[in-house]
This record gives sequence, C-alpha cells and structure tokens, in this order.
Amino acid sequence: MHTLHIVSKPPGHTRFRECLGMAGEQDAILLTGNAVTALADSTITLPETVYALQEDLRARALEARQDSSNPITFDDMVLLTIQAQRVISW
Amino acid sequence: MHTLIVIDQPPYGSWGGRESLDMAFSLAAFDQPVSLLFIDAGVLWLKRGQDPDGINQKSVERNLAAASIFGVEALLADTAACRRFGLTDDNLIGGVTRIERTGATLDQYQHVVFSG
Repeated sequence: MHTLHIVSKPPGHTRFRECLGMAGEQDAILLTGNAVTALADSTITLPETVYALQEDLRARALEARQDSSNPITFDDMVLLTIQAQRVISW
Repeated sequence: MHTLIVIDQPPYGSWGGRESLDMAFSLAAFDQPVSLLFIDAGVLWLKRGQDPDGINQKSVERNLAAASIFGVEALLADTAACRRFGLTDDNLIGGVTRIERTGATLDQYQHVVFSG
C-alpha cells in the first residue's frame, strides 16, 4: 500500500471529496468518525475497496456495504498505518 | 414563540448536534415550545440500535427517547433524507414524524436555529 487516507469528515464536507479525488490505485481509504455515514448514503459512490472503523459503525447503528467495505478494529487500523508507506489524516 | 432546532449533521462526529439537543431540552425545561427537525445526514440521529460505547460516547438515541418526557413537542424528519439513508418504519426510533416539505415546515416557526 502506498498511501493510507484516513478520513473522518462526512461526505458533505469538502475534505471528503478531496480525499476521494486524491486517492490513487495503490492507496487505501479508511473511514472513521462521521465519514462512515458514507456507507449508509445511497447517493455516494465509493472506490471498490474501503475500510471502515467497526466501532464508529456500531455507534451509529450502521453496517458495512456487503460488496466493497471492510469493517476493521482499532488494532487493524494500527496495522494499516504500519503497512502504509505514508498516511494522510484528512 | 415556538422554536425549531434543525440538525443536519450525523451524530457523534462533532459536538454541535449535542449542544443543540441541550438547547432544546433547556427550552423545554423553561416551558418554551420547541421541536427538533432532522435533515440531510442529521436523520441518522434517529436510527435505532446505536451503540457508542466503543467510541466512549453516550447514546443520542437514548437522549432522544426522553425528548417527549422533557417536553420537546415533536421530532420531525425529512422524508427524502430518510429514504436516502435507508431509514424506514422498521429502523427509526419511536415518535418521529416524517415530513415532505421542509421549506414549508420552516415557515411555520417564528424562530429557527441550525445546529453547529
């Protein structure tokens, strides 16, 4: 993985759109905080694979999208940050 | 004077929404008529089954369950936003009235406050 993009802003925020625009093919996107609401928003198209923090989904009674999103724990998040060559926290 | 407090951001990610809830409960405690309107991603406040222990916060779902006891007159939700976020009778908390025309609803209140 080249860059891990950690985004905490909801889809309506400019930061969310900028993050999606900048993420390349070698990158991974991790949704945290209010960014996880993107998975419940039927108007939002996400890249093929995104990660989402399980605890933030559970807090909001949301579920990962069956086909494309991977719910992960805080420990997984730490592993992802280690695997990535660089991390951008949006 | 009836106050309408509008929440348009999802729960937990920022404090703005919770402060608005405090404002609503405070108005109600002083017998000032107040209602809450949820639009855009704000409708996610109304989803049943929230469990924020893992992010060390208290459930806003439980706060809202007490709204009518505190004297908040109505919990209103924009119908189109509910549809957008997959909210139906099956997964909405109790006591929510869905409205079709948000603009017309705002016109009915002398005082409208947006959260955050």
